[in-house]
Amino acid sequence: MINKGVKKRLITLNINDRDYHVIIDDRDTLLYILRDKLMLTGTKDACGVGECGACTVLVDGKAVLSCLMLAIDGQGKKITTVEGLAKDGKLTDLQKAFIQYGAIQCGYCTSGMLMSVVGLFNTNPNPTKNDIKKAIEGNICRCTGYNKIIDAIEAVKDKRLKDKNDR
Amino acid sequence: MIGRRIPRIDGPIKATGEAKYTTDIYLPDMLVAKMLRSPLPHAKILNIDISKAKKIPGVKAIITGRDAWDIRHGFIETPRYPADQYCLANDRVRYIGEEIACVAAVDEDTAYEAIDAIKVTYEELPAVFDIFEAIKPDAPDIHEFRLPDLIEPFKNVGGRCANSFGDMEAAFKKAYLIREDRFETQLRTHCYLEPQATVAYYDVNGKLNVWTSSMGVFRKRMHLSKILHMPLSKIRIHKSWVGGAFGGKIDLFSHEFCTSLLSIKTGKPVKYVAERDEIFSYFRHGQPMVIDLKTLVAKDGTILGQIVRCYNNCGAYRGSGVVCIFLCWGFIILPYRIPTLDYIGYSIYTNNPVRAPQKGHGAPQVRFAVESQLDIIAEELGIDPIEIRLKNARQKGDILPNGDTIKNAGLIECIEEIEKKTDFRKKYSKNLKEVKQYKNNTRFRRGIGIGVSSYFTGTLIYPHNSAAIIKFNDDGTVQCYTGALDIGQGAETILAQIIAEELSIDIKDIEIIAGDTDNTPVDIGSWISGLTYVTGNAVKKASEDARKQLLSSAAIYLNVHMDSLDMRDRIIFVKDNPERSITFSKVLENHIRDHKGDPIIGKGFFRGLKDAEHGPSLKNAKGAWSDSYAFDAQVAEVEVDMHTGKIKVIKATTAHDCGFPINPLLVEGQIDGQVSMAAGQALSEEIIMEKGITLNPSFLEYKLPIATEMVENDYIDIITEEYKKGHHFHTKEVGEGYVSGILAAIANAVYNATGVRAKRLPIRIINNLS
Repeated sequence: MINKGVKKRLITLNINDRDYHVIIDDRDTLLYILRDKLMLTGTKDACGVGECGACTVLVDGKAVLSCLMLAIDGQGKKITTVEGLAKDGKLTDLQKAFIQYGAIQCGYCTSGMLMSVVGLFNTNPNPTKNDIKKAIEGNICRCTGYNKIIDAIEAVKDKRLKDKNDR
Repeated sequence: MIGRRIPRIDGPIKATGEAKYTTDIYLPDMLVAKMLRSPLPHAKILNIDISKAKKIPGVKAIITGRDAWDIRHGFIETPRYPADQYCLANDRVRYIGEEIACVAAVDEDTAYEAIDAIKVTYEELPAVFDIFEAIKPDAPDIHEFRLPDLIEPFKNVGGRCANSFGDMEAAFKKAYLIREDRFETQLRTHCYLEPQATVAYYDVNGKLNVWTSSMGVFRKRMHLSKILHMPLSKIRIHKSWVGGAFGGKIDLFSHEFCTSLLSIKTGKPVKYVAERDEIFSYFRHGQPMVIDLKTLVAKDGTILGQIVRCYNNCGAYRGSGVVCIFLCWGFIILPYRIPTLDYIGYSIYTNNPVRAPQKGHGAPQVRFAVESQLDIIAEELGIDPIEIRLKNARQKGDILPNGDTIKNAGLIECIEEIEKKTDFRKKYSKNLKEVKQYKNNTRFRRGIGIGVSSYFTGTLIYPHNSAAIIKFNDDGTVQCYTGALDIGQGAETILAQIIAEELSIDIKDIEIIAGDTDNTPVDIGSWISGLTYVTGNAVKKASEDARKQLLSSAAIYLNVHMDSLDMRDRIIFVKDNPERSITFSKVLENHIRDHKGDPIIGKGFFRGLKDAEHGPSLKNAKGAWSDSYAFDAQVAEVEVDMHTGKIKVIKATTAHDCGFPINPLLVEGQIDGQVSMAAGQALSEEIIMEKGITLNPSFLEYKLPIATEMVENDYIDIITEEYKKGHHFHTKEVGEGYVSGILAAIANAVYNATGVRAKRLPIRIINNLS
């Protein structure tokens, strides 16, 4: 077998504020561990080679392609997947906007798309339309033509800025 | 509820990652399946040696063509077009990537190791890839099959559809202008984001449980039953969410057969997920077409007749190629009045991968050709693109050559309204003048173009019909059982809206239980543009049935005639005296008590083309095709960089007559997706193949549109059919008709900007500029 003799090791990954102790081999991608070992299947695998963005997660608040990151490199970092967005069963304003504005069709790109946008807002709370397009240009969506996704993101941005100014 | 922008009901589970797609199904002790594929485009298989592979620890089963019964399958299986493909190659392979063996092993690495250890001995045969080479008398025979009625001296014809009517000789005599052009469309592909995937589990009771990324569970079950020699009752296709399909997941695929058979052999769940490069290289794409189009027109632009030859490169097996050449005929005779036609479509076998339907299925190819040529003709005649389209547009009451009636048509309104909204004539003539007089020396040039299209609304093909069941919980909330499969278009939301409308209840009080062959009634599936029409009507009828039962029961308890009752929010009340009321819950309770336990169950069913025994003939296009036809006019505005040749679609406008838009938010979503797919086809997308090998098997190299290439969309609703409560519910198709007009519009806009006429897709202007 190809993987014969590959060393297995026990590591700890902090995912969605919870510590998971997992046995990995050094070649395992974070995506593989999330889906196949931890059953966190919200993160999608659509190309496996970093071209489609469906597997995007947050690592220390930054959007990262989990298919291109080794699980072993996730040690000591704070990993957030789509399952970690809603808190206490309540959807975030971004998730709600995606639903409200028709940004979701088949839904297969949605988790990755959401994580890219959270990553964008973490670094830039006031992105221009162009910034938004740039932030999600690595996330392929075949259903929506991106129109309603961008509408939803802009609506969230506007609302957050307004809420901040109203405070 | 009808006509409102209701957010989709599956939004929350998709926004949180809870929705389980086939790829997300993990069962205990599940095996991984991997496929051995042919490295040669055409060869005899002399021997397959699996002895070494079988001995690898962790390999649980290996199947080859010998394990499959001698049964072939096809997208179409008729006496004229018998099934022509094995699930696993028997003694011959006909394209690179054809499935030869499938391995089930404990993990992916082991499965791949076994695949590498299988030794196949081939005798290579001459192969042919180009359609015009394939029809030559000295071309290699890809199949033994010969069409009995083929009159042309062509080889490798997998299908032929011919239809002609009118007096062509007279048309020639009357013609003021005859224009002949050849148009070619590229090999494009679906790019569904969820890979092709299947999980099969043959349980101890002898039931085969299947989760598969598809477009219709009942069609998949029919195929699997045939190919596995198993009764329908022993196969259950479970519901899983579908991550996009666009036509590419309706056929039976080898991996669906293989996972099933491997599970039967091992007694364990078996999962197959295609790698993305496998999908790009070996799975079914759309249909590349060469169209020879001769059009005869009068001086005023009236079309007198057309002579059309379509050559479809259908790949190594028939696939949906023979359907595509029938549909090409349909998209010729649809949006415009064609008084005289001589049409022949050929579907030609080559040693390429097999083809499937893809959004539009023939319409993008044909509309690109016809709409481009119509603009050429208009310019030669000195009339504008709007006028020539208005002159030829189909109208209400038109009878199509096959006998179908156009019951309503908003095409003229679509064209007129879109002209107004985009200021088309003014922009078009200004650009054209500048191009013609070489006055425009700017680097970035603007152009505007129009395209028109029409699409059918479902037809008869297995399973032909849909049925639905409405049942109530004790509190009066509703559960609807439907076989419909939501593939992203919002099927479940639309069906819930229809129920909410009929029963005057909140959409939150409705649960849709869908897409499971054991637990839901038959459904036509999310394809042939028929779900909202066929399933929608079945669900409507089931709701009406439930409503009637509720009212007649309530009438007894309220002691009034049922006609004087109405309902809202799970309460039935007397119209004139709303105080007099009874809740659904109480009606149900009383009804069960007084009717020997009858809990009130609504039943509904629907089949289109009620007077037709079967769908249209694929041989001669005769016979009923569809109950209604959607129409659209679309305008594209482009900007062309004359230094680099880069084309950008600045804006797309779609005027559509899709019947009554049940949910405008979802209709817009469908249009957005189609405009984007059309922009991709027009400007960048192409599967590039050389001698059967795919040279660009990845998202990156295939170049489908990304967010920075988003096209701004504008929509115009042309509603010819008001939705009236209690009336027959005639919505029309919206899922694939809007990928074609805009494709042609982009090509016409590029001409308007640059004077370069694209006859091949994707559009490349740089080679044409000197």
